[in-house]
Amino acid sequence: MVDEYLALDVLRGQWPEGLPEDDLLGLPVTHHYRLLQRVHQPGTGRLSRILAGLSDAGRDAVRRPHPDIVQVLDPRPLVDQAASIGARYRTGGLLMTETLAAGLAHRRALYFGSEDNVGRRFAEIAADLGIAITVLAS
Amino acid sequence: MVSMSVGEELLEERRRRRRAGDPRLNEADREILRRVTRGDLQAEFQAALDADLAADPLLGGHEPAGRA
Repeated sequence: MVDEYLALDVLRGQWPEGLPEDDLLGLPVTHHYRLLQRVHQPGTGRLSRILAGLSDAGRDAVRRPHPDIVQVLDPRPLVDQAASIGARYRTGGLLMTETLAAGLAHRRALYFGSEDNVGRRFAEIAADLGIAITVLAS
Repeated sequence: MVSMSVGEELLEERRRRRRAGDPRLNEADREILRRVTRGDLQAEFQAALDADLAADPLLGGHEPAGRA
């Protein structure tokens, strides 16, 4: 499972060193949703101006990643376990609970592209669930 | 010459395809995404991701500003 950073790195052809080559690269739908916010709800800042420069085809690659490269995960098989994690750890954020459920379902391994994208509480719960978090930089 | 099994050959082809990234992205697109994840726009990108969670209780819950 990868986060927004690694999904974009892989899409642009920069394979992060240490990312398993033969595993499914799954992007939880809540993480994809945050990428889509950048595409569909541009603000007035510099990031929005620069992202507006993506070609139509490039924007489409972010909106609908090719499943051979990055697979946006179907949330339906994960949502029950996500709700269970939320209840047990008294945390309600779907991004956090869906990501942890995805980690449990897929080899107990989560890969992030930036330390800044891993919250303290998330890391605590992941450790309790036996899910390994690896931060990779391209 | 080292011969590969069909399985290894197919896996290697898949690795090559994945390593090349999405062919829909042109060079300018790739540079934009590099700036977002690894360059001068990274801090803004992270701030935008955090803001999404702070603005959406379903997504972010009640955790302090937003990371996974």
